[in-house]
Amino acid sequence: MPITLEKLSHTYQEGSPFQATALHDINLTIQDGELLALIGHTGSGKSTLAQHLNGLLKPTAGRVLLDGQDINQKDADRRALRFRVGLVFQYPEHQLFEETVRKDIGFGPRNMGLSEQEVEQRVHEAMDKTGLVYDEVGEKSPFELSGGQMRRVALAGVLAMKPDILVLDEPTAGLDPRARDFLLSDIARLHREGTTVVMISHSMDDVARLATRVAVLEKGRLVMEGPPGDIFTQVDRLTAMGLDVPQASKLRHELEAEGIVLPPCYLLDDLADHLAHRLKGGAADAT
Amino acid sequence: MLRDITLGQYYPIDSPVHRLDPRIKILLTMAFIVCVFLVGSPLGYLPIAAYLAWATWMARLPAKMMLRSMRPLRILLIFTFVLNLFFGTGDTELLRLGFIRVTQEGLYNAIHFSLRLIFLVIGSSLLTLTTPPVTLTDGLESLVSPLKVIKFPAHEMAMMMTIALRFIPTLAEEADKIMKAQSARGADFTSGSLKQRAQALIPLLVPLFVSAFRRAGDLAMAMESRCYRGGEGRTRLHVLKTGRKDWLAVASIAVLYAVVLLMARYV
Ligand SMILES: Nc1ncnc2c1ncn2[C@@H]1O[C@H](COP(=O)(O)OP(=O)(O)OP(=O)(O)O)[C@@H](O)[C@H]1O
Ligand SMILES: [Mg+2]
Repeated sequence: MPITLEKLSHTYQEGSPFQATALHDINLTIQDGELLALIGHTGSGKSTLAQHLNGLLKPTAGRVLLDGQDINQKDADRRALRFRVGLVFQYPEHQLFEETVRKDIGFGPRNMGLSEQEVEQRVHEAMDKTGLVYDEVGEKSPFELSGGQMRRVALAGVLAMKPDILVLDEPTAGLDPRARDFLLSDIARLHREGTTVVMISHSMDDVARLATRVAVLEKGRLVMEGPPGDIFTQVDRLTAMGLDVPQASKLRHELEAEGIVLPPCYLLDDLADHLAHRLKGGAADAT
Repeated sequence: MLRDITLGQYYPIDSPVHRLDPRIKILLTMAFIVCVFLVGSPLGYLPIAAYLAWATWMARLPAKMMLRSMRPLRILLIFTFVLNLFFGTGDTELLRLGFIRVTQEGLYNAIHFSLRLIFLVIGSSLLTLTTPPVTLTDGLESLVSPLKVIKFPAHEMAMMMTIALRFIPTLAEEADKIMKAQSARGADFTSGSLKQRAQALIPLLVPLFVSAFRRAGDLAMAMESRCYRGGEGRTRLHVLKTGRKDWLAVASIAVLYAVVLLMARYV
């Protein structure tokens, strides 16, 4: 069920003195089963784009197609769309409100009109997927939990709707390294199990590790798009945009400047292999 | 969405009117309001209209903006007009439809009071359109500070207003975000019975309150860690200054008064 953005533009508060164009003429297709990472500088329009994917924002120009159907058509069922495209906002723990974790996660499924039994079933599944233990936290107030746990409750709240496409806006922002690794492995697993994922991130190493495709936004325009191998080897271009690159790309780039040219790579493991290979080869030459 | 209503009316451009001392602007607006009440007949509004047109032009505001400020009042305006027109006293009948009668005096009053309302609203929006809310409270604080001698908490009041104003857009933005996040989970804020709609607000209000309290706590901490202890001995970053253009503005309203009073007497 691919999502296609066709010449999508969005202007906030059009016609007022505060109007600001956040997206210009974006063409992008999100394919089934991929993990698309959306990167870009602060204010480049990533969150704005994410909110178009489930119809929370309407394009000021252009269209958003799901299965070839314009999602903003008059007769489109926008609520059904939101259950198919699950959007997890930045700092989603700020939207928790129920008395217990169990009820909060069940909010989405209950809105879908499922029976209490089904809701309960989905809550269990979603908690399993996000590594929350039902018997431990299910009856607790979400406000008693740690930041990392709250983030997972919020993620579970969206997963419980079993969306086909999961859109995550900076899912790891503000988490400690351990909580971050947990969350990322959850996301990787969901992706492996067949969910299409769109992830916004400022951490290039995370993107390098997880993404099957990367799209780069700059000032509301889509400026680069392709597999991580193509994007993260263009170190100079990304740096000029004020973006970071994965550590491996950076190191490889710096070595190149020193005259040590290694095959293109962007993952630390690959870089280590290349280096080891070269060192061994070098040692062989010396003897 | 929610953001639209919150930034107040302020129209962010630069003009001589925008640069006036806010204290003078507040006083001038008050003087202008009094002046509108001094007008005795519909014809007497001509100088008022001319003055407003001139001020709008000086403030570089599009006329559209001024008309838009009338919009919330259109119901009241229609009421004023219709009530005066149909239920006025007087004997010179112009029209009779059953129990409804339109008299000459009624028509006269309808026009008179509607015009008064229109000019009052436009005059005061000129103030809010050209002055950022925070500057406005600064001006108010300065104007009421003589009352400090009778222990009126001028500074505290102004600080409270400033903080409230500062947080309206923030909270509105937050509400917008939470609303979107809950809609993403299928919450429905727009349909259903009254009871259902009230219930639908819980997922919005709980997180909003939590966040408001968190922000209030953070702000208190931030103010205290910068040694805030009330207005005593506190100096200002932006000192309000009254200059030549302010006195010119005062002179302009004096001229308006003269014209209006003369017209009330002789026309
Ligand atoms: N509700 C709004 N009203 C007006 N302008 C907005 C609104 N939301 C965002 N913008 C503007 O649109 C632009 C893009 O914002 P957006 O939030 O999509 O950026 P982002 O790439 O997600 O940034 P970040 O990395 O900081 O989350 C910014 O310039 C922002 O100021
Ligand atoms: Mg964002």
